[in-house]
Amino acid sequence: MKIAIITLLFLASTLSYAQTVSQDTTATKNQQMNAAQNILNGTNSKGITIGGYAQVDYNQPEGDNGKLDVHRLVLLLGYKFSDKVQFVTEIEYEHVKEVFIEQAFLNYAVTDNFNVRGGLMLVPMGIVNEYHEPTTFNGVERPNVDKSIVPTTWREIGIGVTGKFDEASLRYQAYIFSGFASVNGTKVLGGSNGLRNGRQKGAESTVNKPNLSTKLDYYGIPGLRIGASGYFGRTQAEDDVDSIEGADVGVTMIGFDGRYNNKRFTARTQYIHALITDADKYNMLYETNLGSELKGWYAEAAYNLLPLSHEQRLDAFIRFEQYDTHAATQDAGISRNLEYNRDEWIFGLSYHVAPGAVVKADYQFLNNAIPNNESKGQLNFGFGVWF
Amino acid sequence: MNLKGIIFSISLFILMSFGLPKNILKKVNKEITSTFKTENFQLESMLFDQKLPAKFHSNNLFNISSDQKLLGFVYVGKAPSKTDIFDYLILFDTEFVIIKSKILVYREDYGGEIGSKRWLKQFEGKSKNDNLKLHEDVIVISGATISVRSMTLAINNVLESIRILHDKGLLE
Repeated sequence: MKIAIITLLFLASTLSYAQTVSQDTTATKNQQMNAAQNILNGTNSKGITIGGYAQVDYNQPEGDNGKLDVHRLVLLLGYKFSDKVQFVTEIEYEHVKEVFIEQAFLNYAVTDNFNVRGGLMLVPMGIVNEYHEPTTFNGVERPNVDKSIVPTTWREIGIGVTGKFDEASLRYQAYIFSGFASVNGTKVLGGSNGLRNGRQKGAESTVNKPNLSTKLDYYGIPGLRIGASGYFGRTQAEDDVDSIEGADVGVTMIGFDGRYNNKRFTARTQYIHALITDADKYNMLYETNLGSELKGWYAEAAYNLLPLSHEQRLDAFIRFEQYDTHAATQDAGISRNLEYNRDEWIFGLSYHVAPGAVVKADYQFLNNAIPNNESKGQLNFGFGVWF
Repeated sequence: MNLKGIIFSISLFILMSFGLPKNILKKVNKEITSTFKTENFQLESMLFDQKLPAKFHSNNLFNISSDQKLLGFVYVGKAPSKTDIFDYLILFDTEFVIIKSKILVYREDYGGEIGSKRWLKQFEGKSKNDNLKLHEDVIVISGATISVRSMTLAINNVLESIRILHDKGLLE
């Protein structure tokens, strides 16, 4: 009997011991994955960060078949080597079958307001290219200005500096990047897509002419955030053609953006203007129709239909967009195609079921400047997450 | 309220020099100097051995005194940003009303806008009876929502802890 009790006690202690260990293991795992756990456990800011975002869309154009798409699934992986040195990468699956690296850079925090970073980084232009997580914008799809004029997600390999000044409520960024490819595989720049085909995305990028990209953000007025972006450079040509006339074009892009929030009301606006030089020679050489100016803007207003005391948010929004990849064509030696002068009304709902998870529905009226063109309607549903 | 009263009411003192990391301590001292306009002050840690919404361990809350005269209090804490943690400071007057708050160290790119002096001004004048609500009492910075929410929660937790300690008569 005595032996039995001792055995039982022993077993019991082993059991409880095993339980403690497994709880500890879980705690350790959580601690690695979750910043909040790090704090709870009193550990310092070091180690692995895991996060990500995803958007799953259903697009239903009027009169055509619909499309269901796991549009983007991005895994964020970061590693902090010290308080000053950090590596950040985002691995992106697009439409399930394409794999990209969206960001991969090493950041060195020299001081509180001065960082040096290098690698594959986002080009700071407008709002959405940098803040592209689906919970941060209204509409199932990104705004079309942020597709046709700013080719989101626009990223290239480069090096630069960034930081913030708390006293002035100012954030600055300045990078030297590799530019768009004049010819990307078989794809050339043109009227329908603008510069979009030229994105090298850090995949064996050609570089022969450095491009400068800068952005300033000011957030010193409560509720308001404004930004000014500038991008200056030329496209990159391959060795065998880079001395031929028309092998590259000059790209100057400027952008202004603003975001405002006041209790249940939010609004944002963005204006992007790109000037392309030597487009005439480029169009001649590659038999394409790249405009000499690309221009687009949008304005959006939203109102949260739920009381502020709720954790959930239900934003009803409306946005007008106008964007033209043939804003000017005379200097490009081509005729203007009014089909590329597009505008759009979009309205819908963003239901934020929890911070970081959103369910969206919207309707788009897509139009262009061709006389008597009938606008096309499209219904969209989707959800987005960010963690 | 006098210094003596505080000494008796708190459960433990630990000397400041054992607590905060050097770089944090330097910034804390700088803020105190510029706010109270004196370089001649002592910090004493105030530790509370009980469960509170915010941490009140050996290097979180300190009383600030100069020549035996109480100037105010300083709370130093950590809160999560999107993928990391940041260090912040809250300066109180002798009645635990917020005089100033500041982000001491922000470690990631995303959300660093909460360091804005102008934005942090919103917390000034708040005290233990306040419970700040996002969007209503605290204006959000676009592009920094996560850290805005985190800092607001952190401040609320500290204020609530102070209210609890005050109600228990531990801060008299």
